[in-house]
Amino acid sequence: MALQKLRDMLDKKEISAVELTETYLNRIKEKDTKINSYITVCNESAISEAKNAQKVIDSGNSTSFTGIPVSVKDNICTKGIKTTCASKMLEDFVPPYDATVAKKLKNNNAVILGKTNMDEFAMGGSSQTSYFGGVKNPFDTSRVPGGSSGGAAASVSADLCAAALGSDTGGSVRQPASFCGVTGLKPTYGTVSRWGLIAFASSLDQIGVVAKSAEDTGYILNGIYGYDENDATTSKKSTGDYNCLVGSNISNLKIGIPKEFFGDGLDDEVKKAVLNAAEYYKKLGCEIVEVSLPCLEYAVSAYYLISSAEAASNLSRFDGIKYGLRSGLGENFNDLIANSRREGFGNEVKRRIMLGNYALCSGYYDAYYKNATRIRTELKAEYAKIFEECDVILTPTAPTTAYKIGQQENDPVKMYLADIYTVTVNIAGLPAISTTCSYDTNGMPIGMSLIGKSFDEKTLIAVCDRFEKDFERKEAVL
Amino acid sequence: MRYQPVIGLEIHAELLTQSKVFCTCKNEFGGSENTRVCPRCSGLPGTLPLLNKNAVYLAAKAGFATDCTVNNYSSFDRKNYFYPDLPKAYQITQFENPICTNGHITVKGGKDIRINRIHIEEDAGKLVHDDYEGISMADYNRCGVPLIEIVTEPDFRSVSEVQDFVEQIALRLKYAGVCDARMEQGSLRVDVNISIMPVGSDTFGTRAEIKNLNSIKAIGRAIEYEIERQSDILDNGGTVVQETRRFNDNHGDTKSLRSKEEAHDYRYFPEPDIPPVLLSDEDIEEIKKSMPQMPQVRFARYTKEYGLPDDDAALIISTKEFSDFYDETVKINPDYKQVSNMMLVELNRNLNDLEKTINDVPFSPCDLAELVKMSTDGTVSKNAAKDILKIMFDKGGKPMEIAKNNGFIMDNDTSALEDVIEKVISENADTVQSYKEGNEKVFGFLMGQVVRAGGKGVNPKLAKDLLTEKLK
Repeated sequence: MALQKLRDMLDKKEISAVELTETYLNRIKEKDTKINSYITVCNESAISEAKNAQKVIDSGNSTSFTGIPVSVKDNICTKGIKTTCASKMLEDFVPPYDATVAKKLKNNNAVILGKTNMDEFAMGGSSQTSYFGGVKNPFDTSRVPGGSSGGAAASVSADLCAAALGSDTGGSVRQPASFCGVTGLKPTYGTVSRWGLIAFASSLDQIGVVAKSAEDTGYILNGIYGYDENDATTSKKSTGDYNCLVGSNISNLKIGIPKEFFGDGLDDEVKKAVLNAAEYYKKLGCEIVEVSLPCLEYAVSAYYLISSAEAASNLSRFDGIKYGLRSGLGENFNDLIANSRREGFGNEVKRRIMLGNYALCSGYYDAYYKNATRIRTELKAEYAKIFEECDVILTPTAPTTAYKIGQQENDPVKMYLADIYTVTVNIAGLPAISTTCSYDTNGMPIGMSLIGKSFDEKTLIAVCDRFEKDFERKEAVL
Repeated sequence: MRYQPVIGLEIHAELLTQSKVFCTCKNEFGGSENTRVCPRCSGLPGTLPLLNKNAVYLAAKAGFATDCTVNNYSSFDRKNYFYPDLPKAYQITQFENPICTNGHITVKGGKDIRINRIHIEEDAGKLVHDDYEGISMADYNRCGVPLIEIVTEPDFRSVSEVQDFVEQIALRLKYAGVCDARMEQGSLRVDVNISIMPVGSDTFGTRAEIKNLNSIKAIGRAIEYEIERQSDILDNGGTVVQETRRFNDNHGDTKSLRSKEEAHDYRYFPEPDIPPVLLSDEDIEEIKKSMPQMPQVRFARYTKEYGLPDDDAALIISTKEFSDFYDETVKINPDYKQVSNMMLVELNRNLNDLEKTINDVPFSPCDLAELVKMSTDGTVSKNAAKDILKIMFDKGGKPMEIAKNNGFIMDNDTSALEDVIEKVISENADTVQSYKEGNEKVFGFLMGQVVRAGGKGVNPKLAKDLLTEKLK
């Protein structure tokens, strides 16, 4: 159900906030054993938040979030609620403070149903590296939900929350949204505060929204965006009112199709579906132009160098000294730190830490990290050039639809390459939205992405919404 | 063989900000462990640094205090290494683009020591080892205390150059309000990089770095020990290895901490959580305008314009407050030498007796200027001026009022004084006789009698002249 409709029902007292929350909690209890989308379900606090929300509604002072039940990815700190990053390292970590987004949810009396499962420390595209077990795709539980915000996407897809907060470092909101047949928005870097988001790659991380529709992502973004003194990288340029262009005429827009995104490695069914979507926009009157992003071939390498380098540094604080897992073994500091990290981190996280430290070592820095930053500069320039001409860019979200669990686990490079269509957006700091544009022969959702100009989420949402209004989306049946 | 030391310095100075550099915890010294700690400075997951603008401002001032260029663009980097006193396992510092570059300080003898850079960074916490319990405890109070690191070129060739430089740096930072430079508390710490080469050579040897020297004396002893140690090695055909050493104040020697092989690879990269620091030309000009006049400039003024001896000028500039008091006083009474004498001798004597500092002086420079004037224009005697100053300290009051109330105003009425002298002569006939017979020593006794009989207002010079006249 659309969030605005939920809002109206709550405000008209057609349903109470407690009833709504109980409905979701019951569904989670009943269904989540099948998909494992939650790490922590906040049964008690959710009910008490719902009761408070109802009081606000009864007093006639409700705001957009009042009583709306949402899930929060488990790398976003929630005061008093375990925040694990799906890692053994933080299995029992209870933050003493709220992330800015969590505070905004709470201050506006949203109901936090629970904390969603993910790839450990958000590193991965399958949500199978979680210490708490992998997440399954609600459309087919033998398949992955994508990742790293797989729990967030699955929880929305399976109707286990009204909307979800995720995080997107290289596609971690858009790709699982695509795999789970829902909508995922990654805002412009600096739109949403990262204060309280446990950092993976600080220059790429951005909190995003998974929801049932583009309009719903805008609805949530309206309540969480904004400059935050606690995050010096947030911008004052974000405007709010993200749904203001929904329903407006988009037929005068120019949509770019970057040819490099439709080359080798792209599944035929996905290609066809995305080009059909382009055809749809053309029929509306939009101008479709072929554009080029030559840097794409270097993007995955640059992404893995920058993100792993930052991750290696960001994850150094998990040393067993102050919080998190501490190994009982060891004769000295070095042993204590090394053993705690050996026990606390999973293999994929260790792989990225090693890759990142290697890229930063003196002697390799120029060849790896520095070159990656050059690609970054070049990529931004190429995007800027495209946006001189185009309003939005249309691409596939991922080269394939959701694959079978276990299919790619032993081939990290193949998994990394699957991020090719999403990572450029993070490297350039741009906003992008993924929505379902078709279903493949197995009935799995196919995702397309729209990439926009910096801080122009409004146009993205409007263009995406137009498609969604004419597209018959299927519900996952659990 | 005779060797020439080649020395460069890295000086860490704690900035006098109210709060820490990346959070709002108080920046203070001492106190109970882990009482000035928050999610940010203890590196909790999800926290982000919040740059203290005042730290930037003070670092820029340090730049002006050392004739550096203050840069429009500077940025932060991460220096990665594991140690339990570093909660994030990286230190935020400025590596690629420091805030200040290319400064210099002239040391005694007129030589210029070049300053390569000044950058901002955060301090780490402290580990306390309890050998009895066999445990180590971390105190994060110092985590995130703002520091600047001042890095010189290897321009020093002697201990005295180094010591003079460090003393000057400490004084200038104090003048600028950047750092209190209390070496014994660790708010100013010096790392010495030292190598030796044969006299006459221009090829630098392999250097050792001696960490965390915390007194001017320790700097001297550590350098002298290192020169001897390295000379011994070379004289015996050995090679000096590049390493980090620690100076032991009790033994007066240095011990290896870690070799070059054990040195960390810090894996520096740009700090993604802090946008670059951009200072406009106007910002920089405004900071420059807020700088007080530096001590070396005042020294030059005192010696060249005011004609004070070097030693006196050096004493006046020893603290900014003393120098400010002097400057305020001579602004009103430009008798440079007399004001200097009054402050360095009498004012300091009173401060020492009362165990107080120039900040505690209970009267204004204006009052002191008047007192000096009264003393030099003959309104009161020199001795009376000392007494008046003491009363100004003890009870307060304006110098002229004190002089009047206590009868310190010199009496220049000759006839009254003549009467007093006549009386003293008649009452001391034997002594007068003795004087007239050539015993000039008794003149002092007779003068004393005149002063006692005439009261505090007696003009000593006038009395002496009249007495001499009468005794003829």
